[in-house]
Amino acid sequence: MDRKLTRVAGMGLAALLGSTSLAAAEVTVEFWHSFGGSSGDALAEIIANFEEANPGITIEAEHVGNYNDIVARLQAAIPAGRGPDAVIMEVTRYGLFADRGVLMDLTDYLEADPLKDELFDFAREVGVYEGKNYIVPFNSSTPVTYVNKNIFERAGLPENTPLTTYDEILAAAQKIQGALGDEGIYGIAAPGQFARWGLIMDNDSDLIDSVSGEVLIDAPNTVEAYEWMASLVHEHGVASADNVTDEKTGREAFFAGKVGIMLNSTGDYRQSQASLGDDLIVRPLPCNKVCAAPIGGAGIGILSTADAEVQDAAYEFISFAASAESNAIWFAGTGYMPINRNTADQPLAAETLENEPGIRVSIEQLDVARGRPRPPVVTWMRATEYDMWQAMALGQRDVEDTLADFAKRTRVEAGRVGQ
Amino acid sequence: MTRETSAHALWLINGLTLLAAVIFLSPVLYSIWMSFQTSDAYYSGGIDFTLRNYDVAVGQYNFARYLLNSVIVSGIVTLLGISFATMAAFAFARFEFRGGNLMFGAVVATLMIPSHITLIPNYLTLARAGMLDSYAGLILPAISSGFAAFFLRQYIRGIPRALDEAAYMDGATPLKVLWRVIVPISKPAIFSMALQLFIAEWNNYIWPLVAISESDLFTLQIGLARLYRVNPGEDVIDWPLVMAASTITILPVLLGFVLVERHLVRGITMGAVK
Amino acid sequence: MLRKLTPYLFVLPLLGFMAVFTYYPILQSVNLSFREWDFMSPTKPWVGLDNYRLLLTTRDFWNSLKVTAVFALISVPLRLALALAVASFLIRETAVSRISRGAIFLPAVTSTVSIAVVFSWVFSTDYGAINGFIALLGFDKVPWMQDPQLALYVIIFVNTWKQLGYDVIIYTAGLQAISMEYYDAAAVDGGRRFHVFRRVTFPLVMPTTYFLLVISVIDAFQVFTIVDVMTRGGPAGATDMIVNMLYRVGFTLFDIGTGSALAVLLFILLIALALVKARVIGRRVHYDS
Repeated sequence: MDRKLTRVAGMGLAALLGSTSLAAAEVTVEFWHSFGGSSGDALAEIIANFEEANPGITIEAEHVGNYNDIVARLQAAIPAGRGPDAVIMEVTRYGLFADRGVLMDLTDYLEADPLKDELFDFAREVGVYEGKNYIVPFNSSTPVTYVNKNIFERAGLPENTPLTTYDEILAAAQKIQGALGDEGIYGIAAPGQFARWGLIMDNDSDLIDSVSGEVLIDAPNTVEAYEWMASLVHEHGVASADNVTDEKTGREAFFAGKVGIMLNSTGDYRQSQASLGDDLIVRPLPCNKVCAAPIGGAGIGILSTADAEVQDAAYEFISFAASAESNAIWFAGTGYMPINRNTADQPLAAETLENEPGIRVSIEQLDVARGRPRPPVVTWMRATEYDMWQAMALGQRDVEDTLADFAKRTRVEAGRVGQ
Repeated sequence: MTRETSAHALWLINGLTLLAAVIFLSPVLYSIWMSFQTSDAYYSGGIDFTLRNYDVAVGQYNFARYLLNSVIVSGIVTLLGISFATMAAFAFARFEFRGGNLMFGAVVATLMIPSHITLIPNYLTLARAGMLDSYAGLILPAISSGFAAFFLRQYIRGIPRALDEAAYMDGATPLKVLWRVIVPISKPAIFSMALQLFIAEWNNYIWPLVAISESDLFTLQIGLARLYRVNPGEDVIDWPLVMAASTITILPVLLGFVLVERHLVRGITMGAVK
Repeated sequence: MLRKLTPYLFVLPLLGFMAVFTYYPILQSVNLSFREWDFMSPTKPWVGLDNYRLLLTTRDFWNSLKVTAVFALISVPLRLALALAVASFLIRETAVSRISRGAIFLPAVTSTVSIAVVFSWVFSTDYGAINGFIALLGFDKVPWMQDPQLALYVIIFVNTWKQLGYDVIIYTAGLQAISMEYYDAAAVDGGRRFHVFRRVTFPLVMPTTYFLLVISVIDAFQVFTIVDVMTRGGPAGATDMIVNMLYRVGFTLFDIGTGSALAVLLFILLIALALVKARVIGRRVHYDS
């Protein structure tokens, strides 16, 4: 196959330490990822297909936990030399590892790979740090607004209740809370970190400017966004405090039909659909001041510490995983957005698009979506943001003070970590 | 302090005391009861006996493996730890040697050193030696026990030297004296210390948390904490399952408690009361 | 010649491990506290007192210090008072006393994780035992572990429940060591029970009290497991004890330098506390002449 020849040529650019050709060697690639449940199944299918097409390569996949778990475990594994060969890295947090030389520069591989022209621009951009490619996108998402139609009906809200501004969302949540609060049903799930970022962007702001790298945590629009989000919990009581201390519970409560509105990743589409069936409606994110959506998800990177042979094999896998066929399987199986232009042509994908209007919402949102900043300090910032959010949402600390403090610390940390 | 109390009042007081003791332990007792209920029964308020939770904990969540890990690690730590402590205690108690007092002081000083300051450095040391995610990584940092050495030295000092002398006159080496004379006599103390070491290592949480990331090597403590935190239920926590895991975790202590309580108490009070 | 070496050989294993895993780490911690590292960079640049300065100016540090101090100030007197009361009540060597003491002692040797998990259920907002009881009485359920004002009390409760048995045993030994002469003398003077307690028992049991005071304060500053399992330092930092912060800084944020600085500060703090206690309280301890 032409593709394979091109890849072999590409590999010549990366230093091959006098090894035999790829097809002859038995290579194992240790791969850490964050997908369980139905996503895990879709990934397993892709891996199986790859191994069938590449008999000399075995992918040893391990479900390590969520993105945070992967970062923690990876960082701890490095001084011990216990890292994997390939790893799923979230799109805002790989910058730190790229900067430290932990992730291998994949630019040469990608340049030699026709895949690069097949990827959507947004998908390719997401893997670029300081001009070089470090991860190849695998799963891309934006947050969307999930609605439980049944709860809306019971609360007397029409199906197409406008949810395009903060006020509208609050009003709907309050109606639900008033009508069904006694039954233990909440108006809205307290937004998780990804959703929070989206809501901030909808208020025409950001946490860190994706172009200049300026810290915008204490910008007036950011403050306003946090004030609104926090008020959902401690002032209006339409979101449960439990969701704040443990972000999983919001999702789980929504799947269990106990929450009316949830702002979360399109990657949750399959699970939501399985849990709510016809009661599920998917709407785009609100546009409080502007329409904007953060691009989330992750890509696969290769560790610089892996052997050259293994690195080559790993890239084979990564490229395969981003191909139209695999991406269609992934798209149909999870709800993550297509990253490959040719995915839509795949019968599986076309069928899914036909039958599931909910999935289309995130694709339509792509017009206003943008990638987020990924300098090294983002890893620290996102880890710390949880505690800041808790304090604000539970009404423990004043939002403006907290954000001023958080911004200051982030700037200090950026100075320490950045250069 | 004896006072005249009627037989009835005595009965009442004893009864209430025992009741209070049961109430005190009720969380543990009830958790064991819960572990034999099905999740549905628990949430609907019914009663439905099952061993399913244990089945799931062992099968799906690997608790049999965790139990094995805990046994192996705690066992080896205890064996090595008590051996080293006894040897050192013998030396400190019976020999005058240069620097002996200083060394003993150093041993005692470790009692004052809180474990957290050794966390990060020990992690680095073992990382460089490639011993994280291994039994060695769990065992090595836990072996040295200043506590055991200190109290055993006290105890050995109380053994008449005449016994040592007699053995030496028969041509015994110090090692023989330790093994044939001191150890047999010190059995109660050694046993108490060994128990303390075993329990401390069995219950150790922060070090295995830091040192192990490969799930096959988790000890019961880490396995249980993970199980609880990762929430195996669908939208609510499967409490009966968690309680089954919890019961497995405290099983040896529960089973052995009645037998060894005396020794544990002795171990604690040895030297604690001045 | 061998005879002379013998004691050294016997002491070697223990000291060897101590040197590697206790003493050397202290030096390492101090060294690392003056550097900046994140596990991944090939170098560990010297930054002097920067890490300490950073710590002492962040809210997190003072918050965790405050939380730990409040924990100690409440739980230590509570533990001692309860233990002394229980030990006095169960002083006689009757079967009932021994059984009761044994029952109270069981949690002290039980896995902390297990206890934390069980009490997470007890205090669980939706399906826990306590709220179930409260709901039965017709009151609103209380968010024990989600309310920043209440969460620390839950931790204190659980820690006290666990350690009570240990304290009781120590006090029992201490009380039983007081010779009967004193009690007889007090009885002759016509002393009532509480009077005897205040004038005779309490002062004579001071050494034990002092011992337990030291132990429980050190224990308070090392609490980690209960918090890590039950609240993770939340909500909003209300239960963020010092060791929990250390774990977070060192093993979640991977700021090795700051984490080490924190460890060193805590170490110094504990030594200072020990010295203060020795000075202040040492004077007031009465000994059996």
